[in-house]
Amino acid sequence: MVLSHVFGRARSLATAPANWTEQLNEEQFAYVLLVPTFILIGAMAFWPLWDTFQMSLHADNLYGGGFVGEFIGLENYVKLLTGQRDAVLGNSFFSVEEPFRSAITVTLIYTVVSVFLETLIGFGQALVLDQDFRGRRWVRVAILIPWAVPIAIQGLIFFLIFQPGIGFGTEVMQNLGIFSSTPLINSFDSTVIIIFADVWKTSAFMALLILAGLQSIDRNLYRVADVSGATLWQRFKLITLPLVLPALLVAMLFRTIQAMRVFGVIETVSSCSVVPSLTCMVVGTFQSGRFATAAAVAFITAAIVGAVATIYIVKFADLEGGR
Amino acid sequence: MSAASPVEDEEDGGLLQRWTRKAIADPRSVYQALFYVVTLFFLITTLFPFYWLLVLALTPLDAIVNMGLLPKGFNVYAFVEVFERLPFHIYMFNSIVIALTTTVIVLIFGSLAGYAFGRLQFRGKSVLLIALLAVSYFPPAAFILPLFQLFTGNITILAVPGAGAIQSPNWFNTPGAMVTPFSALFLPLTIFILTTFYSQIPDGLEEAARVEGTTRIGALFRVIVPLSAPGVATAGVLTFIGVYNEFFISFLMTDGQAQNWAPIVWGILNYQGQYQAFYNLMAAASILGVLPVVILVVVAQERIVSGLTAGALKE
Amino acid sequence: MGDVTLDHVTKRYADVTAVDDMNLDIEDGEFVTLVGPSGCGKSSTLETIAGLTKPTEGTITIADRDVTNLPPKDRGIAMVFQNIALFPHMNVYDNMSFGLRLRDFSKEVIDQRVHDAAEILQIEGLLEREPSELSGGQRQRVAIGRAIVREPEVFLMDEPLANLDAKLRVHMRTELQRLHKELDTTIIYVTHDQAEAMTMSDRIAVIDGGQLQQIAPPLVCYNEPANLFVAGFIGSPSMNFVEGEVTAAGLTTENFDVAFDPGQLPGVAPGDHLTMGVRPEDVYLSEQGRELANPSQPIPARTDVLEPMGDEIFVYLLTGDAMDAGMGTDPDEGQNQLLMSVDPYSDIESDRDVEIVLDRERVHLFDTQTGKAVSHTLEFAAADADPTETEAGGDD
Repeated sequence: MVLSHVFGRARSLATAPANWTEQLNEEQFAYVLLVPTFILIGAMAFWPLWDTFQMSLHADNLYGGGFVGEFIGLENYVKLLTGQRDAVLGNSFFSVEEPFRSAITVTLIYTVVSVFLETLIGFGQALVLDQDFRGRRWVRVAILIPWAVPIAIQGLIFFLIFQPGIGFGTEVMQNLGIFSSTPLINSFDSTVIIIFADVWKTSAFMALLILAGLQSIDRNLYRVADVSGATLWQRFKLITLPLVLPALLVAMLFRTIQAMRVFGVIETVSSCSVVPSLTCMVVGTFQSGRFATAAAVAFITAAIVGAVATIYIVKFADLEGGR
Repeated sequence: MSAASPVEDEEDGGLLQRWTRKAIADPRSVYQALFYVVTLFFLITTLFPFYWLLVLALTPLDAIVNMGLLPKGFNVYAFVEVFERLPFHIYMFNSIVIALTTTVIVLIFGSLAGYAFGRLQFRGKSVLLIALLAVSYFPPAAFILPLFQLFTGNITILAVPGAGAIQSPNWFNTPGAMVTPFSALFLPLTIFILTTFYSQIPDGLEEAARVEGTTRIGALFRVIVPLSAPGVATAGVLTFIGVYNEFFISFLMTDGQAQNWAPIVWGILNYQGQYQAFYNLMAAASILGVLPVVILVVVAQERIVSGLTAGALKE
Repeated sequence: MGDVTLDHVTKRYADVTAVDDMNLDIEDGEFVTLVGPSGCGKSSTLETIAGLTKPTEGTITIADRDVTNLPPKDRGIAMVFQNIALFPHMNVYDNMSFGLRLRDFSKEVIDQRVHDAAEILQIEGLLEREPSELSGGQRQRVAIGRAIVREPEVFLMDEPLANLDAKLRVHMRTELQRLHKELDTTIIYVTHDQAEAMTMSDRIAVIDGGQLQQIAPPLVCYNEPANLFVAGFIGSPSMNFVEGEVTAAGLTTENFDVAFDPGQLPGVAPGDHLTMGVRPEDVYLSEQGRELANPSQPIPARTDVLEPMGDEIFVYLLTGDAMDAGMGTDPDEGQNQLLMSVDPYSDIESDRDVEIVLDRERVHLFDTQTGKAVSHTLEFAAADADPTETEAGGDD
């Protein structure tokens, strides 16, 4: 009896707000439903972004109270981009002479190479998964699994493969004349390993999104191509590729945004001092208490990501508009 | 059999020639063979790293030198030792709790928002959707500084002159410091998926539920959500895997102690740091840490693929 | 009890007015059909009654309660939907008991009511089935059952038979009428099919452009349509319309004249533009028309296309210029074309010159400008008709 009473109370408490929303019109109701989401995202994303931006306009404050010093406008950005902060950062921020040891260049090199390879391999995997064959289910599982591996473990796997004296990876690459004997503390070698690791893990993500595009292609088009005597290559070039291009671009956009934030795999495979990606720099300055500099680096990263994303979106709009 | 074979051999002149002749006659069989080669290549490259972990985990520690492709020994005890050196099970437990809690919050908030975006007409809809999309452009680094200050109790939320001020909660080393930002960062993806699915449920079903006696919110949870089960499952699985795999915020929001809700990231990093020489344990820990998500992928792979195909990309 | 009143109800969306100042008074136990072409606002009207959308203006009363601002669940209504809308994730029993369970009825009551309803609808054997295992007709019965068990004051039905095949649709019509008799509850029924509206309803509310055109018993709508729209919408095939000008002797159209005394029609003066309406069954070949009390002057015409329906033959007739132009004429033109229905044993053939007459007792006149009905007969003008002919016609 008591229990059912308690349940009854709890239920009417739960249904009371639902009953209240019945009085709202469609628009008011929509806004009410969006309140939780936008409070959460406002507090966890919009506010932090705004706050980070403001911090980036102040000086670092290493000794006094408070996180940041006085307002200095864009000085952090200027100093970062002109190399005057390199001493503080441990590695250079932007340098063409040593591309693998400067934040912007190594991040861009890593992004371009890994997204390119992932697109090729992901496309291949998607084409395989698009076929009907026995055991497809298990091939699909096998191809998807790396995508579900935590970044820390992904990093550890490649750390173990290329740890000299343990894994065989270094020896193989050395015999090919590509690696030094200590790849995990060599910027170029480590960058290559991290690209390996990223391609291994995220080609599957690419494959998933491309597969979604492939499966939305009308199969009758292939029949038309067969009837008109197209070879497999012509079929791919004239039907598959153009129709899957929008999905491909979306997938590449997602991957590019993600790749430009690379951090975890660097930290586990090698170290931020060896491969100084942009996010590495944020964390490094953050951990040494230079909050304003960290904020400025974070915003420069966001700006670069935004610029690259815009290129994709313009390209995508072209493609959609051209139809 | 033996009587017939010499004749065949004479006629066909060996396997290779026969195959070549067949290939020229029917190029499709070449493609077929090529297809299997490519598939095999993908299988080997994706699965080999796991095999490598197994090789290392099974090899006794003192035998781990210049490892080849086979384990040097069969030391299953490594999988027990992983839990003895560090409370690895607690790290895993923490990760699973954090990922599950985030998934539940994301699905509830995302359902409400997905209903609004998918089924209601209101002003500012596209602006709000773009605002959600924009969140995913920014690297976590751009959020982390204020969030870190917020969750270490250093932000004044409400200052009442003369009466003092309310400080933000000190959630560092608690699940709240991870679950809250994760929920916000993974919400947009879930909202996009659920918006597509919810918009496809016929109006009549919702109207029928309302006439029969539910409120609009009641109809959402009694009819629309159950009928969108594939989409909800996809969104849930993607969120769970995403949170379980997350590195950046997990890394910065705890001090790495298992009792302080440090997730699996720290379990792995601690093996790499404190127990530098224990390569077999690192490998064993990695295998164990991957297991929950591997099981999830095996169980839900059909869902993930069909959910993404049916929903996410149709926007 | 279950009476429903709409008082100046208007529903406006961003750029369209779906329901425009609708006034309806539906009595308890009445079967009223809202009928009109698609997009006319009949479904929007039903939705405002159900509470699925809120009217922009006006009030709605159900069972003497102002329900304008109540959500659907508190209005004492049940509804059957066009797409049937069974919940695919519940079996038949759970679908039917859904509303009762939400209202915390006891298990026994729910069981009793579900089985009673299942018995009435003859679906007792299906209670454990999933909706996907049912035929279209069975699903429709379950949807009706879901509405019955609630014992509502008012049933709302939104084109419930539209998705059924023709044969089943006719069968379900009679079932619904039987059900209405049995339950004696108010039913408000929406359809675009005027035949459905004619056969089932106590009264028909004809709606066009969001506005109520006429609400009356089916035969009144048929015989005395309030305006051009109702006249054209009710009845199949549709009424013939010919525009003309009033003269001292009657109506002069492009191709023929129809005699009457305009003085007998209040508000009508020579020079007015009127539209004459005559149903196909009121058009006769001259020889058959002899039996009529008040035939019009013979009108020369040429038969065009014949449509034998079995129980009658529809004959498309060309008049005036179109007689020479022949088959190529645009049939939508209307002015030069008349549709006539003759009995199936007529030896009529296409492309023949014939003479036709109209039954003047059943000729309608409408104001061309406003569409409003001016008269539903020209009988009053029977001054020159011979009374003996009427008797002769009666004898035959």
